[in-house]
Amino acid sequence: MIFRFILRRLAVFVLQLSGITAAVFVVIRLLPADPVAQLVGLNASRDAYEASKHALGLDRPMWAQFVSFVGLDKAHDGLLEGNLGTSWVTSQPVRREIFESLPVTLEIVTYALLLAFLVALPLGLASARKPGGLADRGTLLWGLFAGAQPDYWWGLLFVFVFFFLLNIAPPPMGRFDPLMTAPPAITGFITIDCLLAGDLGAFWIALQYIALPVLTLAFVVSGAIIKMVRTNTLRALQSDYMLYARASGLPERMVARYALRAALTPAVTLVGIFYGVLLSSAVTVEVVFSLNGIGQYAIRSVLAFDYPAIQGTVLVVAIVSLLVYLLLDIVHAYLDPRIRT
Amino acid sequence: MTLAGDTTTPEEMDQRVDPAVLHAGDVPGDVARNARRGGMLLYLGIFIIALSMLLAAFGPELAPYDPTAASSDISMAPPALADMPHLLFDSITGRLHAPFHWMGTDQSGLDVFSRIITAPRTDMTIALSAAVLSCIIGTLLGLLAGYERNVATESLMRVSDVLQAFPVFITAMMLVALAGRSSFNIVIALVLVYTPIFVRLTRAEVMGQVPRTYVEAARAAGNRPIAIACRHVLPNSLVPSIVQSSATVGFAIILTAGLSFVGAGVRPPTPEWGLMISQGAPQLILGQWWCSVFPGLAMSIVVFGYAVVGHSFEARFR
Repeated sequence: MIFRFILRRLAVFVLQLSGITAAVFVVIRLLPADPVAQLVGLNASRDAYEASKHALGLDRPMWAQFVSFVGLDKAHDGLLEGNLGTSWVTSQPVRREIFESLPVTLEIVTYALLLAFLVALPLGLASARKPGGLADRGTLLWGLFAGAQPDYWWGLLFVFVFFFLLNIAPPPMGRFDPLMTAPPAITGFITIDCLLAGDLGAFWIALQYIALPVLTLAFVVSGAIIKMVRTNTLRALQSDYMLYARASGLPERMVARYALRAALTPAVTLVGIFYGVLLSSAVTVEVVFSLNGIGQYAIRSVLAFDYPAIQGTVLVVAIVSLLVYLLLDIVHAYLDPRIRT
Repeated sequence: MTLAGDTTTPEEMDQRVDPAVLHAGDVPGDVARNARRGGMLLYLGIFIIALSMLLAAFGPELAPYDPTAASSDISMAPPALADMPHLLFDSITGRLHAPFHWMGTDQSGLDVFSRIITAPRTDMTIALSAAVLSCIIGTLLGLLAGYERNVATESLMRVSDVLQAFPVFITAMMLVALAGRSSFNIVIALVLVYTPIFVRLTRAEVMGQVPRTYVEAARAAGNRPIAIACRHVLPNSLVPSIVQSSATVGFAIILTAGLSFVGAGVRPPTPEWGLMISQGAPQLILGQWWCSVFPGLAMSIVVFGYAVVGHSFEARFR
């Protein structure tokens, strides 16, 4: 039963991926940008322009470009072989560049989500216990306020307060002390790499450097999480099966446990949505703290009209959020048999 | 109005609210709170929205200084907050020859306050048009997809699925940078990003309305399908879209400003909140906070206003 669910979910995943691949490829080429002029400069001669255009493969028809991008022809590796192409600006394989920058973003996004849930869960539960009470009104206001805020501005505010005024945070310059040697990258998560290297001092420094970006992201996502937890818990508390549990004379402690489980199961899928939202927010927050993650890579490649890099970034970020959705859907189906239809 | 709100336990709540009058998704907490608080928050939100629209309409006329005329002699003047009382007195008695820079000036000597109240002309216009357009397009497509379910509308839903799987910020950035960094292109990019949400919301609502008796009655009375869809089903399916469009304005403001913050939005020296924040960022780290903090504060307040109004709508009508 659950295997059929997983299979169907996987099929949807593959379809969505193909859709995104085709869409991003076509859309980029339909937009009226001239990447060749951007690369060779405006003063380049006609011949240099044409030569460069030919070197990039942009003189071929769009379908031929797409075929080699996906790797359907046998001539060179494409997407199907896991090759994302070569960056037009740096001449490096896009895949390598993305694998270097992606963990930076994933690390702060993951920590931010954990932190936000740690704070938002108790608050949401507390506000659902007494609807209309003081805790409820407070968290509602917080949820409304933090629910939509310019994250980059809050990042700057935090830098001003914690770095400039209080001087307890390091400067917003990357995720590790620029004057020190970072531990060898094994997982790409700097905190975990420090621990793997057995260097507790470096771990402490890395923690300080990523504290503010994580705090910023956790702050902007906490509002939405509180709101969701509150709504779900209220709905669970009013459901018929809660009434039934009470009518059966179960002790209040047991009822609360059922309510908690019923309220938190839908929250599992929400984690996925918030993960995607945070991946998007991270772009601007990375700029504030110069973290050089996938977000800043996306900005650089978009502004340089670096098509292979843009395609690769959009694809990889979409894959990450779709994979998180997929995993959480399966977890959700495992926890709640009703949705395996 | 005295409701036993603060001491109500969930059990009492169950007795007080008749489950029959609630639709799925209704939360009595919101109903109770709204009744007691008389929607004070809603009035605050409406006030903020009205103010932002007034500034979008008349901001450039109200600005004491030209928001784009640079002058190097007063670069990075701190906000005149400390000298407020006597400056205010001087300006009222006419002893002051020029309006004072009470929010300071930026690096090019531009008056921060003038730029902040001119910015809504750009930010609000983009955000409002994007929200209104995606609401209209998305609601109509959602109505079509929910009411007339066939191969064409099913493929429409799949397209909207794919659109929704795109990372929002990166996609918007890509569209704007490649299509050209103009306000018009930003609106188009935002509409592309936000429309699928409206399609999905409206479609779900319409599919819940179609089996109801009033639709059957309208059909029995001999109305044409298009008349039933537009005159009967559509008005009953609007609430989710209206709630969403209020929230969307807020998100669109943040996104528009975010695009110029990373250098992929409107071009300097256009007065725009995100540009102002980004231009002030290097100084903020050195302690000169006013260039970034004030525009962000303005944006933060406006976005909060839209969130509040959206929430109040939701609590009242859903």
